[in-house]
Amino acid sequence: MTGAVKIRRAVIGLVTVAALYAFASEIGRGRLPDRVWLGAHYVENVQLLPTWRSLAEEGTFLIESGILPSSVAVSTRRVMLGLLLGSVAGILLGLLTGWAAHVESLADPWVTFFRYTPALALLPLYVVWFGYGEASKVLLIATNVAMITLLGAQHGVRGVPRVYLDAASSLGAKRWLRFRKIVLPAAFPSIFASVRIAAGLAWVTIVVAELIDARMPSLGYLLALSGAYPRVPSMLIGIATVGALVLAFDLLALLVHARATRWMGRAG
Amino acid sequence: MKANAAPLEAADVSYAYPGVAPTQALQGLNLRVKENEFLAVLGPVGCGKTTLLRIFAGFLRPTTGSVRCAGSGIDGPGRERGYVLQEQSIFPWMTVRENVEFGLLAQGLAEPDRRRVSDELIQLIGLSAFEAAHPKDLSAGMSKMVEVVRVLATDPSILLLDEPFGALDAQTRTRMQDALARLWERRKKTVVFVTHDVEEALYLADRIVVLSERPGRVKAEFAVGLPRPRSLETRFSGALLAMKRQVWDALVS
Repeated sequence: MTGAVKIRRAVIGLVTVAALYAFASEIGRGRLPDRVWLGAHYVENVQLLPTWRSLAEEGTFLIESGILPSSVAVSTRRVMLGLLLGSVAGILLGLLTGWAAHVESLADPWVTFFRYTPALALLPLYVVWFGYGEASKVLLIATNVAMITLLGAQHGVRGVPRVYLDAASSLGAKRWLRFRKIVLPAAFPSIFASVRIAAGLAWVTIVVAELIDARMPSLGYLLALSGAYPRVPSMLIGIATVGALVLAFDLLALLVHARATRWMGRAG
Repeated sequence: MKANAAPLEAADVSYAYPGVAPTQALQGLNLRVKENEFLAVLGPVGCGKTTLLRIFAGFLRPTTGSVRCAGSGIDGPGRERGYVLQEQSIFPWMTVRENVEFGLLAQGLAEPDRRRVSDELIQLIGLSAFEAAHPKDLSAGMSKMVEVVRVLATDPSILLLDEPFGALDAQTRTRMQDALARLWERRKKTVVFVTHDVEEALYLADRIVVLSERPGRVKAEFAVGLPRPRSLETRFSGALLAMKRQVWDALVS
């Protein structure tokens, strides 16, 4: 399948869902209640399924007031920083534990122990350790990213086909050269796939992380605040923004991946 | 190197793959490979041919018995013993040129020196147009030839080839055999060539040893006196066909 066909299909998919939403919200308006229970109170004037028009109005407000752009900037910065720190630490540890068999058996139980620890469970601990500032948010993302990239790198290194390592040793390559020229390139696709997954997860984590010391501008707080009012158009715009950012990150990752693995034979 | 020591020598070599039920691959195998000889090791599937070659290459140590290379014990892979694996082992993330130059890179040769060697070898196998291509753009036969010259680049005194053309179709196989025969006639080396194809062994080798079924040991030995350079005529000569019958009988008996 060529790139153009893929893009066309992706666009068709997006437009179809957007059109269906427009249809549903136009019908739904008037049929859905505009008064809902939230906690112990009745809240008035709630649009459960806002129309495109009110989404556009809310979007214009959020952009013109600078709330959305500055939130995106702040949250993106945190995600990038956490992704970078976490990837570097995770990949280095993964390469080490994958390549040096004795380190592997030392680290393995700990990796298994921590790999499914949810971000939310670590959050209070990080606040106590690193305070309410930037550090605990970035480190929370970094921790999650590191777990995934560690496993990706480890898996990549262990999956390097024996034949390549044997052929390289036979040609006189010492350990370090084998690592650089055989293990790293052979493990790259697996490492990269894990970074891609971790990037998506980093966005999930940031929304949670921004609930500590919640303040504007940040996407996490924007979502929390629109939930407190409640303001459904803001919620939807917040969710869509996070989705769009994940999509943008993923596209970027795919481009880098395609360039870096041109050596791989890909069918279709 | 000790005087008169054989390039490769296996004395009473046995090898058992460990496991719940250990597999005895080789049992009391004796073999002496002569200097600059093209030796074919022939045997049925699973007779331990690959095991023998991996022992010579230094990836396996015999369970009992000893192997020597030019008089000294083998305790690991070494570049004086160039080894072409049975499986496809061309590095897919490197270009043809980078593959051919890998052994020279491992020796720490500078780029211009590496290039001089790789230019010549790539030309020798007729892949000059593909020097910057990645293996995904090569046919299986081309890839195998790159693997062979990748080993030749470091100029090992011994070549260990494990069914290098086993996975190719008959025509490509014939072409590769010709290419290998030309290469060997040009730069003589000690070659141990593992195969299960009688005709291939006769066409290429000076001497053939036939291994028994597992556990493998030398069952029969033939000197191939066919004249060189060998050609299409050799393949259909009465002498080759007569020998083919003899070797075949030894193989299946």
